[in-house]
Amino acid sequence: MANFEISVAHLYGNLMNTYGDYGNIIALTYYAKQIGVAVNYHLVSLGDNFDADSFDFALFGGGQDYEETIVAKDLKNKADQVRHYIENDGPLLAVCGGFQLLGHYMVMADGTKVDGIGVMDHYTTNMHDPKLTTLNNKRLTGNIVIKNNDTAETYHGFENHQGRTFLGENERALGTVISGNGNNGMDKTEGVIYRNVYGSYFHGPIFTRNGNLAKRVLATTLSRKYPEVDWADKLDQIETETF
Amino acid sequence: MTLRSTLARVTAKSSYWLLHDVLHRGGTSLPGKLAVSIDPNILTKIQQDFELIIVTGTNGKTLTTALITRVLQAGGYTVITNPSGSNMIQGITGTLVTANVKPSPNGKKPIAVLEVDEANVEKIAAAMKPKMFVLTNIFRDQLDRYGEIYTTYDKIIAGIKHAPEAVVLANGDSPIFTRGDFTNERKYFGFNHIQPADYNPTVAPINTDGILSPTDHSVLEYDFITYANLGKYFSTTDNFARPKLNYQVTSITDLTPKYSTFSIDDTPLRIEIGGLYNIYNALTAFAVGREFNVDPEKIKTAFESNAQIFGRQEALHVDGKDVTIVLIKNPVGTNSVIDMMVTEKDDFSLLALLNANYADGIDTSWIWDAEFEKLHDTHIKAVATGGERYKDLRVRLKMAGFPDQAVYEDLTQIVTAIKALPTDKVYIAATYTAMLQLREQLGAAGYIKGGF
Repeated sequence: MANFEISVAHLYGNLMNTYGDYGNIIALTYYAKQIGVAVNYHLVSLGDNFDADSFDFALFGGGQDYEETIVAKDLKNKADQVRHYIENDGPLLAVCGGFQLLGHYMVMADGTKVDGIGVMDHYTTNMHDPKLTTLNNKRLTGNIVIKNNDTAETYHGFENHQGRTFLGENERALGTVISGNGNNGMDKTEGVIYRNVYGSYFHGPIFTRNGNLAKRVLATTLSRKYPEVDWADKLDQIETETF
Repeated sequence: MTLRSTLARVTAKSSYWLLHDVLHRGGTSLPGKLAVSIDPNILTKIQQDFELIIVTGTNGKTLTTALITRVLQAGGYTVITNPSGSNMIQGITGTLVTANVKPSPNGKKPIAVLEVDEANVEKIAAAMKPKMFVLTNIFRDQLDRYGEIYTTYDKIIAGIKHAPEAVVLANGDSPIFTRGDFTNERKYFGFNHIQPADYNPTVAPINTDGILSPTDHSVLEYDFITYANLGKYFSTTDNFARPKLNYQVTSITDLTPKYSTFSIDDTPLRIEIGGLYNIYNALTAFAVGREFNVDPEKIKTAFESNAQIFGRQEALHVDGKDVTIVLIKNPVGTNSVIDMMVTEKDDFSLLALLNANYADGIDTSWIWDAEFEKLHDTHIKAVATGGERYKDLRVRLKMAGFPDQAVYEDLTQIVTAIKALPTDKVYIAATYTAMLQLREQLGAAGYIKGGF
């Protein structure tokens, strides 16, 4: 087989890893291996440089409040590179806390406001926000099903978050909530799609339970690096795990 | 003792007798409830009868509590302890008010050794005056129920602050226990089984919590790691490091799936259970025993003469197959079980069972943080999966490089499943409710005496 490889950056993987987010890389690697693509894993954490042009895919997972505040401070030093990566159509999966910190700000359960890096247009309030019209003071915890309106794909996962995220004007949802709560329990949106960035509150993790999405993002990643190959076709020929 | 508290105690004891001896029902919650309804201050009043040790943390509470009990008994103390299912306030109250406390053979005050759920430490400590808090570890565990590790520790600290005179005896290998703004005397136990010449500076694996220094929030490094984020840590940016240990594992001689041999403070010891994590439980019990002046030789005897207390790792025979059942409930515990399988010298098969009921944790994401890939370093010959969430586990193990699995959607097939595995040795790893279902099936088929 030809020597194809992709470099994966796991942003703050040692601190933002609370709900099995690394499983997304396991799933990506599982599919990549079957079509002859090697995945090189790189941890990019506190004090490290994030060189946007040297990565083909990035994962930014969720963490606990304490770690998230430490990460938020460090992330400011990487903001320009993250923006460059995103605006250059770099594929990125951001889950929970990672999704929140790419936006303008997030408010923790105790009311502490943490600055995001604002490279995307959403913002996150907390469960005590008086503007909420439903499920006030409650965590949004449980199984969730959404439908991707672009592709008609259905995704299954588990959500467990107190933050309420509201999308910006140039952002669209990853999917419409069929059952469960989604970004804020109010507007039926779940997650975000912006260029090649996919944000979500899904645990499960999302790529392991939804092989259709994992393969779609992998095809995007590979086509960006190796445009001469029909990756979607190759991926169509291997079995998709969905549960 | 006032009339009211005497009445509370008598009522609790009568209801316990009725439930336990007449109706043959377990449980201490109802007697506890009754006692509190008659005298809300019953716990405060009965505390003068004994010293109190609170054992809390994520993993190892039950076995550690059982070991401490045997160690203190070997030292001549009368010990009261609670069954593992009764580690919240009602059950604990029931245990204490129904206990018949006889004087200690050694002439000292009897001791209550209580396993306490992390969220119930404050209630117990507020009502009574503990002599000691024993902190085993805090790991990520069923986040849908417990929350984050620092939140859990905050709950324990709230309890510690009610008893500033109590000694806090904590696992020094866990960085989180150096935190906390309480003034109590702190003592630490940990591992020092590796010589400085063999130190191999490293950081914790990425799927590990609690790796930041409390001083400047930098990522800690380690001279060595025992498992997860436990080990001899230090900061590279300032002087923060693991505190001096009062009790330490000084060497490990033998790690096998069935027993371990090691030394604590140069006393050679043996426990009849595998797994490095169980040496931590023994170390904890050793430390408590020494704090209460139990002779090391007596502790050694207590460990060796109580093989049956290592119950969670259960061994049985199913038509000639040597079956070991282990509980899995969170990533760290599962990784510890896999580490134990690495020490298995024979070929074996793994039957892994996943449920996601309330008691298991309803979010199954944690299986992706457990390192099933490491099973490739063992003599594993076959993998089978089952349980109500067999689909999750099947894909997890498939992506870990085990494409060929027998899959059992229904645990009524469990005996068939065991017999179909190709090796004589079988490990069954199950989440809590899957284990209950499994035991029920094995009991019905006559492989576990007494069944359920």
